[in-house]
Formats: sequence, structure tokens, C-alpha cells
Amino acid sequence: MTLPRPLSRLLPLLCLLLSAPFVRSAAAGIPELWAERCACAVAVEFLVEAETERRENSSFGTVVDKEGLIMLPPVAINLRHTPQQLKQFKVYLPGESEPTDAVYLGVDSLSGCHFVRVGEAARAKLRPVTDFIPEGKVPAVGLTEEVWGLGLRGKEEDFIPYVMMSRIALINRLPQETAIAQQEITAPGLPVFNVRGEFVGIGLSSFGQSYIQFSRTERGGVPVMLVNVEETSAFLTAAESIPQFTRVPGSPFGRPMAWLGAFGLQAVDTEVARFLKLGNQSAAVIGEVLEGSPAEKAGLKERDVIVAINGTPLPRFRPDRSVATHIDRIVDGAKPGEVLTLTVLRDGQRLSMPATLTDSPKLAREASRRYFERLGFTGRECVYSDAILRRAKAAEALGLVAHFVKPGSPAASAGLQQEDWIKEIDGVEIKAPEEAFERLAAIEKDGTRNDFVLLVSRGGDTNILRVKLK
Amino acid sequence: MPIPLIRGLLLLLLCLIAPCAKAEMQKGFRRLLDAVVRIDVREVAFEAGTQRHETSIGSGVIISRDGLVLTNAHVVSPRVVELSVTLSSLESVNASFVGWDHWTDLAVIRIDMAEVARRKLSFSHAEFSDAKEHFSGETVYAVGTPHGLSRTVTRGIISNSNRYFEDNRGVRGYETGSFNTWIQTDAAINPGNSGGPLVDEAGRIVGINARGYVGADNLGFAIPGRIARVIATELTAKGSITRSYIGLVPGALRDLENFYALQTNTGVLVNSVDVGSPAAKAGLRGGDILLTIDGQKVDGRFPEQLPPIQNSIASRPVGSVLKLGIKRGNDTRELSVTTEKLESRVGEEWSFERWGLSVRAVSRAYARENQLPDTRGLLVIGVQQGFPADIAGLQRGDIIVSINQRQLAGLAEAKALHTDFVNKPQPTLVEARRNRSVSLYVLKP
Repeated sequence: MTLPRPLSRLLPLLCLLLSAPFVRSAAAGIPELWAERCACAVAVEFLVEAETERRENSSFGTVVDKEGLIMLPPVAINLRHTPQQLKQFKVYLPGESEPTDAVYLGVDSLSGCHFVRVGEAARAKLRPVTDFIPEGKVPAVGLTEEVWGLGLRGKEEDFIPYVMMSRIALINRLPQETAIAQQEITAPGLPVFNVRGEFVGIGLSSFGQSYIQFSRTERGGVPVMLVNVEETSAFLTAAESIPQFTRVPGSPFGRPMAWLGAFGLQAVDTEVARFLKLGNQSAAVIGEVLEGSPAEKAGLKERDVIVAINGTPLPRFRPDRSVATHIDRIVDGAKPGEVLTLTVLRDGQRLSMPATLTDSPKLAREASRRYFERLGFTGRECVYSDAILRRAKAAEALGLVAHFVKPGSPAASAGLQQEDWIKEIDGVEIKAPEEAFERLAAIEKDGTRNDFVLLVSRGGDTNILRVKLK
Repeated sequence: MPIPLIRGLLLLLLCLIAPCAKAEMQKGFRRLLDAVVRIDVREVAFEAGTQRHETSIGSGVIISRDGLVLTNAHVVSPRVVELSVTLSSLESVNASFVGWDHWTDLAVIRIDMAEVARRKLSFSHAEFSDAKEHFSGETVYAVGTPHGLSRTVTRGIISNSNRYFEDNRGVRGYETGSFNTWIQTDAAINPGNSGGPLVDEAGRIVGINARGYVGADNLGFAIPGRIARVIATELTAKGSITRSYIGLVPGALRDLENFYALQTNTGVLVNSVDVGSPAAKAGLRGGDILLTIDGQKVDGRFPEQLPPIQNSIASRPVGSVLKLGIKRGNDTRELSVTTEKLESRVGEEWSFERWGLSVRAVSRAYARENQLPDTRGLLVIGVQQGFPADIAGLQRGDIIVSINQRQLAGLAEAKALHTDFVNKPQPTLVEARRNRSVSLYVLKP
């Protein structure tokens, strides 16, 4: 259809004029809505106390209940640090310079989010985002819908809140429903609202963007990826994030943790799915079935291709690799004792295998550890995953793992490296970690000793290290 | 003062002999110069997902009247497709590959004697030095083709006659240095000198120049002549060196004698035992002390002493039973170990041109080193951009375990499947392992 030219030129203008009053009326209340919702966002500061250093860390979080519960994004805390190393949690309200103490509650094994609870003094000034969820209805977002969110400035600016606004450009399942706006609309871990002020999601870590970097002196451009760590245009929708609010872990480690033990899942791409005649569904190949795991007991084998769980075919995601996360989430969301029935392809046959999930074996973060300052390293109890990662048998999970080696220390000079597996001390095999700790403590205390000897394993080879103390 | 007659006679004799010896030495050196050759090599390389030819230049020394030339394994390998030797007369002749041994970085090639006769060419051959030992400070000369500059002679001294170093990937990714020590020299050795001789003043071979430290001044290394001589004879006879393997990784005991309650100069520390190796099966463990091999005492106090000990194990016939005297804690015991054939970590290589995929068979040593359950599968060493393997997402380092849902036993099976693909192109399912995961790929025609 063609319009007379003057009219076609006028049409966009006409549309703009017609829509302008409407947009203005919707946006009119945002400063007020924003002012009210600033109390949903906080900055959290804490110390990580490692062997030889203390480092200050900070993150943003969202208030999720009336008792001062704050949810932090997974990136807030590196899981290499144990809960014991996390100290002095402090919560700053937007625009305030005086913090309130808080307590670290732990990490949720499903979402990876961390939880802290702020002291009572500050709770009255906070508003949980749950106050902005309409009763009985989780607000959904649609394409081109206008959304806005909070940002917080840095500490030197008292975490002054500011507002960001944009429109939804894409909604995709990765595998969780994720909305992506045209521009940055919030910070990772902070809430996003619609124009009515209803909670619509929580900011995710931002996606990297590709740029070409040109130099004045070098020829040609260098492709670089930039990731904005302060602000993000991606957020997890309300339907996905609201269930996370109540998943406060019972222990700092997030136990119980359901465990299947099918390791190294790799999605198949569309070409492979077509070759395997899977239709418009996805599948994932098992890289390894871990020793003694529910997967092993169920009869699963490495190279099996998982096509369905509990009778439901694996949906296809874009990108394909999201199916691995999808499976992990099904397992992580279940409870130990629950049965998952996996349908796999093996040698052209379709097999159904019920697996009874168990609680996961002890994690490295949960292992006991001790730092020997004079010797210059931290020994950590060797746990199941240490043995498995080193391709040893679970029963061989004895000894210590060098969790930290102090540069320039006797242990470092002897050649001990982080992640070395210490199997013998002075020619005596380590049977229990406590016994090894005692032995090392005795060596450390003994001022007359010139040296001691460690047998360590690294990449399947062993090495005798002589640690000189004098 | 008149010189007493006897003493005078002696002096006269000495005066007569000295120029004579000097002349003899000069003659020997000139003869050596006529025995040093430049070697031009064209060889096939598989790494790029296709077969490519590469050329390189090295040096060599003629060691027999019938045209055997000794050089380095890193100059000439079994991948060679064309060899040409430039004699001191500047004439080039063809040559053929005889054998190589990357462990000692030595190779032997043979000059085309029919061509030499037809063209009425001549050359001389060099002699090995008979000295049992060489000493630091002895004057030596390196002769070769550094950077393509033929017949270059550089002079220096032996800096150390017993240098130890091992290199896991030293000769084109192959292992070297476990069974020999090296002669270190300050005679200038540059790229292209490789394979040329290190000689004494009389032109006798003291070593075969092999390598220099990159970025250092005058730190060159040569394979000792006495070792080169033995290896050359065996390569000429058999084309390769067969060694025994037990999987014991020795360490120098240096200063640990007290800890192990040993007398000085007794025993070798077992630093590590390869998983699944004969020594592991026999019950040997890291931290054990090896006291004797077949009743003979061993002494591995210093790293320099380790290669001869390794060599004494390696030179047993494959399948021999060794009795190892072991000390573990306060116990001593004897373990019987049956040797296996020593293998390199580098397996046979091939390129599947239509897939744009280069692979290498997984050797036992590679499987052990990478903690793989077995030697099945083919290691991807290269993919060609824009070809099916690359488009499907296969990468260098992946291990292909099956093709079209058939587990691969070896290279031959894959070659047959590739031929099928060439004859009747159709989507082919490849299953490959990367670290601890398994992925599926479809190679599309």
C-alpha cells in the first residue's frame, strides 16, 4: 500500500503526537516510584581473610523480606573462599555513609545466590521488593516494554542511588527466562521494575560485548570483548527470581545438595540432533559417570546421550549449550532421595534409568584446613572431588591438598605448588587429615629440625620435595 | 753450556716429532673438512589439517667410505620425502633416510653412491676420537652450515663434558636426553649447525652438535661421540633403536641420604612411577630407594648420574626380567620387573584431507601422561579452516573416540572411513573427548 507522499512523511509525526501524552502519563510517576524503591537496594561490604592478606570486597544486593534478608548475586563471593574466611559483613543503605553489621547465611546451591541478614537497626529503613509484587500475580514483561532499575554509585559517593531506563529488546531462555533491554537498566543483583513500579526481575551479570580495538602504533584492529561489571542490560524475570527469595540455605555451604554424578555434560548441536533423529529437541552427552555416584548406581555410562528427564524430552535452547545448565538445574532443584528417571541413547537403543539422588559428597570448601606459617603453606583435607579430579579412586581420597603456598617460603622453595596432592610426610603415609595437621604442627614447632620431606603427586607423577627449614 | 749428548738427542727427536704430529693433525683436520656436508631436507608435515611440505637445512658428517652420514634426529626424521647432501666440493647428491633415534637426537642417512660414482665425485669420511674421556678446557671446533653458510668452522673449548638435561618435547615434540648427558661447548653453534661434528684439533669427532641455548652466548650442546658411534652403528644395521621401559622416573638423592638413612653415594631416589607401567605393576612406588639392579649397586646422588642408570635399564632386551633391590622405610626388598618396549609419546600421524583433519595415534606414553584410560582414539593435531572438521567444531587436542558410532581401534579404521567419505560423501558422526567431556560432531560433505 502506498500513501500520498506528504501523508507518509507526516505519519510518524502523527504517531508521536498521539502517543506522547500517553507515554508521559506513564512515566510521570517514576521519580516517585524510584524514590520509594531505593530502599530495596543495598551495598554489602565484607572482608576476605586469606592466609597472608585481607581483601575488602563489595557487592550490591536486593532486600527480599521484612526481616532484613538480602540476596546477593552469585558473582558477589568467590566460592574458593570458605565461609570462615568471610568476615565483617556490613550493609550500606543507598546514600548513607554509616553501615549496619550483617551476618552471612550462605549460598543457595540452585541459584548460586548468597544471603546475608542485616542487623535490626537498619531493617526499618528497608523495603523488601516483595512489597512491589501484585498479590496473586507475578508481573511479566513483554517486548518493547519500558522498564527501569536502580544503580548505586561508589562508596566515596555514599552509594547514592540513580535510575536507569530502557525497553525490552529480547526475552530468551538461557535456560532461565532472561530479559535483555536495549541499554543498561540495573546493576547485577539489583531489582528492575515496570512503569507501574511492579517488580519484574533481578539484574544478572552483564553479557560481554565485542569491540575492535585500534591502536595508533599497531596496524589492524584487535578484537576485544568488554564486560560492564557495574551495570547490566540483562535481568532474570520475576517468575524466575521470586522463587529464589525463599531458598535461604540451612547452612553456609548450601546443604542439602542433590547429586547425580553425571559429569561434563555437553549439548548436542542441531546438526547432531538431526543426525540422531531427535526432531526439535535437544540432548546432552555424559562425559564421565563419577565413581559411587547415583548415576553410576543407576547404570548410566559415559558417552550416554541424555534425551529426556522424567519422561519430558529435553527442550531445545538457543544457544544449544544451555541444555547442560537446564539439566544441572533440575538436579540442583531436587532433594536428596528424589528419583530422576533419565532416558538415554546408547548404541542406538533408548534406555530409561531411574537414579536416586543423594546428598553430594563433601566439597573442597567444606574440608578442614590449616595454615602453617613457618612452613609456608595451607594443607587442606583431600576430599572426594580432589581424588576424582586427579583421576584417582574415591577410596584414595587421603592426604592433603596444598590449598595455598606462600611465595618465597620454605615450602615454595622446595617446589611445592598450589593444588599439589601431599601423600606422605617424612615418609609416612597420610591416613587422616588431623593426624597430618598434627605432624606438620610438630615439625613447625620443632626449632631444631633442618628439613622435612613431602611426597607429592602432581598430574599423576609423584615428586619427593625436601623442605629446608634452616 | 754444552748439552749432554743423550739429552741433546732427545731434544732433537722431539723437535722432529713435533712438526710431524702437527702436520698429521692438520691433515686430519683437512680430511674432516672434506667429510662435513650440508643437508637439505624436504619433509611432510601433518599439523595443519592437511599434508604440507616443509624444507629445512642442517649439517652432517660422513662417517664411512660407503657414504653414511651422521646428523641430528631434529634435522632428518622418518617424515622426510627428499634429501640432498652438498659435499665439500660444493656438488650436491641425493641421499636416502636410514634411521633415527630422537632420544639421542641422532639420525643416519646414506649418500646415493651410484650417483657419486656416475658423476665421479669424491669425499672423505671422519674418524671418531678414541679418547675415553674429554675434559673441560680442551680445544674443539664446530663445523657445519649455520644459517645456511656452508663449511663454517668455529672454535671453542669443552665447557663441560658431562652436562645433564632432559627435554620432554625437545626433538620436534619427541622426548630427548633421558639416556645420555651432553658435551657443552662455547664454540659458536647456530641454527643450521645441527648435525655437524664437534671435533678435536686432529679433526676427530668428539660430539655431534645438537642445540644451543636461545638468547644465551656460546652455550652449545653436543651428543658425545662415543654414544653417537654406538647409535650410528645400530641405526645403520636396524634403522631404529629398541629400548626397554619399566616406568621408573629417577631423582637425584642429593642431600637426602640422611633422611633415608643411607650411606653417601648409595642408591637412586624413585621420584615417580608411571601409572600402569611395569614398575607400578611390580609394586614400586614414588619415595622408594633403588639400591641395586640385578645385584649391581647403583649410585644416583647427582642428576648427571641418572642418564647412564636409565640407559642401563633401557639397553636390556625388551621382555627382560630385572631384579630391583629396593629400600622402603626400614625395609629392603627385591622386586621383579619385566621390561616393555619403550615408546614415544608421539604416535603415528595422518591427515584426512577431505575432512581437513590431522590426527595422531594415541601412544601408551601419551595416554599415561594425560591419564587416559587406554590408547584407543586419535588425537586431533590440526584442523584446516573452513573444512568439515573445523566447521563442526573439532579442535586441536580433542581425542576422537568413535566415528559413525563405531569405536575406533586405530588409524587404519579411520582411514577406511575417510575413504568411504571420499567415495560417497554423507554426514558422518564423530564422537570426541575433550578434557572430561564427550561431544558429538557431524562432518558434513
